[in-house]
Order: sequence, then structure tokens, then C-alpha cells
Amino acid sequence: MPPTSLLALSIVVPMYNEEESVSPLVDAVREALAEHPSWELVLVDDGSRDATVRIASTISAADHRVVVLQLARNYGQTQAMQAGFDRARGRIVVSMDGDLQNDPRDIPLLVAKLEEGYDLVAGYRMRRQDKVVTRKIPSWVANRMISWLTGVRIRDNGCSLKAYRRELLDQLHLYSDMHRFLPALAAATANARIAEVPVRHHARRFGVSKYGLSRIAKLLADLLTIKMIATFRESPLAMFGLGALASSVVASGFLAAWLLSPIPNAYVFPGSALLCIALAVFLTMLGLIAEEALQKVRAEEQLERFESRAVHA
Amino acid sequence: MMATQVRAGIAAQVTVIVTVVERPEPLDALYQEYAAVLDSCGRSYEFIFVAHPFFHEMLEPLLALQRAGEPVRVIESPRSIGETALLRMGLADARSALVVTVPAYRQVQPSAICDLLAAVDGGADLAVARRWPRIDSKVNRFQHLALHLTAGRLANGTLHDIACGVRASRRDVLRAIPLYGDFARFLPLLAIYNGYDVIEIASPQHSSDRSRRVYSPGVYVRRSIDILGLYFLLRFTEKPLRFFGLIGAVLAGTGGIALAVMFVQRIFGQPLGNRPLMLLAVLLATLGVQAIALGLVGEMIVHFNASRRRSYRLREPAAAEGDPPPV
Repeated sequence: MPPTSLLALSIVVPMYNEEESVSPLVDAVREALAEHPSWELVLVDDGSRDATVRIASTISAADHRVVVLQLARNYGQTQAMQAGFDRARGRIVVSMDGDLQNDPRDIPLLVAKLEEGYDLVAGYRMRRQDKVVTRKIPSWVANRMISWLTGVRIRDNGCSLKAYRRELLDQLHLYSDMHRFLPALAAATANARIAEVPVRHHARRFGVSKYGLSRIAKLLADLLTIKMIATFRESPLAMFGLGALASSVVASGFLAAWLLSPIPNAYVFPGSALLCIALAVFLTMLGLIAEEALQKVRAEEQLERFESRAVHA
Repeated sequence: MMATQVRAGIAAQVTVIVTVVERPEPLDALYQEYAAVLDSCGRSYEFIFVAHPFFHEMLEPLLALQRAGEPVRVIESPRSIGETALLRMGLADARSALVVTVPAYRQVQPSAICDLLAAVDGGADLAVARRWPRIDSKVNRFQHLALHLTAGRLANGTLHDIACGVRASRRDVLRAIPLYGDFARFLPLLAIYNGYDVIEIASPQHSSDRSRRVYSPGVYVRRSIDILGLYFLLRFTEKPLRFFGLIGAVLAGTGGIALAVMFVQRIFGQPLGNRPLMLLAVLLATLGVQAIALGLVGEMIVHFNASRRRSYRLREPAAAEGDPPPV
């Protein structure tokens, strides 16, 4: 639920061991929003072990527009972002990276685009300043896969610079590593209208990059999840039913192979068919249990949504 | 025995919860030993003994202490429940802001609890005793090693004695950590997971703790299952598909490759119908699909519950100096 007193704009910045970036970042935001009537900058410390919190708190003590949240441990960027969203009081919320690779001067562009009637405006990095092999290529593949699997055409899912309407954020709840798939989730679960604008991108000035190549397996699992949520959110049973159907088709294939087999006692074929039938039965039952597990949560969610809509209306 | 007297209506500084669930020593002697220690470091206290019904007889001396006006309360669980549930009962009744938990037997020198309480005063959310130096029997050391090679890894090597039940914390912290099943045993791990600061304080192992402890095979099976459950809880609660998906991918991948190889061999003339290996390959593939399907159900449940469950905890602003106000 949003806090009651709303500002025009909140900037949410997750920070993890960014002691060198804090001051330049705050200065850049101040400069970029000098004309803006009311804004706040929410710095979310994600369990940094350097002086990030101390520096941020000092700034916050002198400037009430800067708010510092401190997570109890290092949870990850998604959780830090969600913490910032939960605390942000702006009618429009902008998220960006804490490492100065995004440029706060782009914030007004995003906000202007959002005000044309979108729920989410995603930045995409022009002339991206990153290593080609470890960053650009994996990112290109990931973006293509996300677009293809979810049907949400976003050029640059990895760019943190995005603007959202408060109403949209109230419907989204990020967990795991889901911030990367936020546009896809927003489109799938909240029917968000999404636009993109090009944004500047700077090479990393301080610190080290916090990603590596090891994310690919995780990315695949997350993509499968997003795909499932996007497609079968309304009916998990349908998904498992389709799986059961596919499994039955394979079983029929094995049975056919048994009938056509030139070898007299080809019992591996009916055996394999039975295994596939067992799988089909298992999947169907699993689908039923999934429906069961979600029934109550769904009813509550629906109620919540209508209530939240009434609040904003 | 001169107990620091607690006036009616004002809570003691420390609630000591003693869970009486295995190999209890005489409880009145235990009380007097710990009470003397708390007197020596100037803390007022109350004791809550939460007992498994099996040890009903051992509670009589405690009731005598209670009648004599000592700050002792006795809770007997109505049915056979585990240590975690007993601890929860004790926590529900604790009146003080600081809580010390001890088992009904001595693991470390009782004086350790003063150090633990000092650590909590110094800002730790949970202070746990570490039996060190250790004078344990070989069997115990081996079990200790096995526990720390499995569950201990979940703390990334920061904890050296998870199984030591002598712990001090704030009541609010202990109440905020979800405790169920048999997870009280792993409390320090759960505390770290929930973003609390955990400090380990070395205390010499008590001589009565060195005796060889061998449990029934069922206990070891249960512990193993607990550790697996804990591993899943701490690492994959929010991303079940990464756990099940990995298992499923390995199974289905192996089965799929075997099937592909046999299919190619079939094209080159070797019949399939008399190869039992195919049954194994299909079995692996179906098991793999089942694991992935379970992971997907898990993801769906996480997704739909995300709005109900905060996946982070904020650090509170530093607490004010001095004793917490009485409750």
C-alpha cells in the first residue's frame, strides 16, 4: 500500500558497496532535478560492507529529500529495489543503478514519456559501455530470449533506468531475481502499457561489476518461470494438462512402435509407454494440486486489486 | 540461594528458557547454577522450564523452588512435542526483553551466559556459545564434523558450533524468526538468513558434555531430512525452479542423451525393441520432467504469495542506550 502523502517523483537506487559513487550520484540527481518541484531520492543499501551507509546517512541528514534504507543483510538487487518501491512516496517512481552508469539527466525524459499515458517506461542503453564478451553478448541473447518467450518487446531488460506509475508498482511484488523481468511481469500480470526511450550509458567509474557469466543457468530457470506465469497464470491446470497430453502422445508412439516392431518380444516399448502414461497421470494430478494451492491466494489477490483501484480512483 | 528478587509487575531483565527434551540433569541444581551466574553479573532473571511430558517426574524439585518464592515457572507440554515447539511455548511466555536459552544439560561453563548477554548488549542480535576448547569424545567430534560439513556450509563458515543450545538474544528477535519443525536446532542459521547479526563466543566445553552420544538410526535419518529441508529453505525458498530444475535437467538430460544415441543406432540398423537401456532412459526422462513440473508449481506458489511475503528485512535504526523498557 502506498504511503498517504504523495510526492510527484521518487528515485529508487539500490546500492551495494558503492562508497565512491554515493556523493557524485546524489549531486547528479540534484542537478538533473533542479527544476523539478518535489522529488525524493531513496537510497537502498543492500548490506554493503564499505562506507556506503555512512556517506549516504550523512547526506540524508543534511538534505531531507534523500532517504536512506538499510537492508539487514545482502539480499540482492531485486529485494533492494522492492524495499525502495515499498518506501517510495512518489506518484511516479524511477529506478536506476547506483554505479553511475545511468545518467540522472535522463530521468525527465522518462517521466515525460510516462506522462504520455504509459505505465512503464524502460530505458535502453545507447552505445553501451561494457565488455563485449562477458556483458554485451550474454545480454543480447538474454534480451532476445525474453522478448521471444514473453512476447514483450523490450530491447534492454538489463537497463535499470525505468520509470513506473505508482499504481503499477502496487500490483507488482518482486522476489528472487525478478527485477530483470519487470517489464515482462508488468505486461503479463498487470496489462501494463510499456514504452521505451533511449538513455545514456557511461562506463563504470568506480568499483567492480557485480555480475558474471555464471548467470545463464539461473536465467534459463527464471525465463521458464516468467514464460509459465505469462502464459498460464490464469490456469496452471491447462499447462499441466498440455504436458499430460504430450506425454500421452509419446506413449501412443511407443505403443505403435510395439505393434510395428519386427522383434517378437519387444517389451521395452509397452514399458516405455507405461512410464509415459504414469507421467501424464502425475502431471494431471500436479495441475489439480496447483489449482488447489492457488485458489485462496487468487481470491484475495483479486479483492486487493479492486480495492487498490478504488483507492487510486 | 539469594535470588535477585523481582517485584510483582516489573519484568526481570532476562528470561532463561530451559527446554527439557533430552538427557536432562537434575533441574533444581541446574537452576541454582545458572541463577548464581546471573546474580554474579548483576542481572535480574526469571526461569521458564518447558518440559516434554516424559520428564514429568523431574519437575517436582522445580515446583518446590517455585513454592519457595524463586522466579521459576514450569510449563509442561500436554503432549509429546519437539524442542522447537517447546521453545515457542517458552517464548510466548517470556516477559523480559532479553532471552537466554539453555538445554537441560550443561554444554559449556554456565558463566558463558554473562558473556553472551554482554554481546547482545553490545549490539549482537543473537549470541551463541561455541564449545571451545573442546574435550569431546571421538564419536561426538565426528558427528560435529558431519553437521558442519553439511548444514554448517549454509553459514559460509562463520559458525563453528551450530548445535550448541546456549544462546542469548532479544525476545523480539527470537519471536520474529519463523521457528517450526525441528529448526530450533539451526536457529543461528535462520537468524543469519533473516539478516540478524550473530556472534559466536567461545566457552570451554563442560566436562559432562563429553560423554559419547549415539542416537538411534531414525534420529540420523530425521536430522538428514532436516538439513535437506534447511538447505532448500535457506537457498531456494524464492526460486524453487532452480533447485528442482537442476535435478530435473540432469535426469532428463541423461535420459534424453541416451535416447538420442539409441535412436541414431536404430537408424544404422540396431533394433530398439530388445534394449532394456531404453526403459532406463525413458524412466530418467520422465523423472526429470516430474522434477521440473514440481519446480514450476513451486514457482507459481511463490509468485502468487509474493504480495503476502516480504522478501527483505530492514535494519532498524540503532537502539537507544540503556536497558530496554520493561514490558
